[in-house]
Amino acid sequence: MRTLVFIPAWNEEASLAAVIADVREQLPLAEILVVDDGSTDATSERGREQGVLVATLPFNQGLGAALQTGYLYALREGYDFCAHLDADGQHPPAEVRRLLAEVEADRADLVIGSRYRDPDAPAESDDYRPTFSRRIGTGVFRFFLTLATRQRFTDTTSGMRAANRRVMALFSEHYSPDFAEIESLQLAVREGLRVEEVPVRMLERAGGSSFLTPLRSAFFIFKGVVVLLVGQFRPRRQAEADR
Amino acid sequence: MSWLPFAADTATQVHLTSQTRIVAAVIAIFFMLLILDLIRRDRLQERYSVIWFVAGLGMLAGAAFPGLLEFLADLMGVRDTNVALFSIVLLLLLGLALNFSVLMSRQAAQITRLAQERAIEKARQQALEERTGNGAPNERERTNS
Repeated sequence: MRTLVFIPAWNEEASLAAVIADVREQLPLAEILVVDDGSTDATSERGREQGVLVATLPFNQGLGAALQTGYLYALREGYDFCAHLDADGQHPPAEVRRLLAEVEADRADLVIGSRYRDPDAPAESDDYRPTFSRRIGTGVFRFFLTLATRQRFTDTTSGMRAANRRVMALFSEHYSPDFAEIESLQLAVREGLRVEEVPVRMLERAGGSSFLTPLRSAFFIFKGVVVLLVGQFRPRRQAEADR
Repeated sequence: MSWLPFAADTATQVHLTSQTRIVAAVIAIFFMLLILDLIRRDRLQERYSVIWFVAGLGMLAGAAFPGLLEFLADLMGVRDTNVALFSIVLLLLLGLALNFSVLMSRQAAQITRLAQERAIEKARQQALEERTGNGAPNERERTNS
């Protein structure tokens, strides 16, 4: 049983080494792949120094394309399971291990780490405190995605996920470059895959502020809703293949 | 039909002047020559030129047979043939712009996939080098020194 943990990274030379070391410690049997999304800093070099695999995209293509690269690699190289987490240190690898356990036990095809569904919420709610505009966005996406999939999702934009080969096959073919996180959930549910959320603990971003200003947030939310709406009318692919 | 205030009145219909027609015909001919020249100099691929050539021919036809445009104007319920002409051209341009957006999206997807394939190939090569044994790092050391 082989597992690939991939880390999409765009100009993350500062935090990458620590994240890799942490993943190694928590998931010693997994192979690690850094997907460098056309960084202009030494992200790829940091990855190679750490002795992990590095897939370097020749130019910045966006998070969706970087994630798809990871899924494609996992599929082609015959990994049984894969997981990904952010390179900025927000996602504790110990939690990734719990996500992987779910897919390994075949309880789900795709498992999402949700920062909002915390069973020990009172004790650990200080770890992650979203900003106001993020709270609005989260609420809107949650509502529309739940409406679209008829399944309850709390953390729609989580970048911490674990998946099996059925998901790899789907995502390596169809993965929106623009609105990867949300559309991929909708797609997976539509294709009849078992998607599950697992509560995880996430940390505050180590450095730098979120890229979202109020105006950008509004646009982001609007775009997400449009993407979801259009996604509802896409032809189902799995159903066609089964026929 | 005069009791219908919004119906096109044939008496006040505005036609193209012969001057407009001559200008349009000259422009159409120059336009088609330009396209031929672009193809000749490999600046425009044939498959993308067809649509432009058709547009040029349409322009020429409109200039040569003004009855055609007047018929279309009547069909649209527009009194001024010039306005009808503008509307038709605008619609055609809209269609072309959309066509280009579709082409662009397809090419963007192709470029992304190309970049991904290259990135994967590099990672695979790296994995292979590491798997082919401990000799690889030594070799690298030797070439460095």
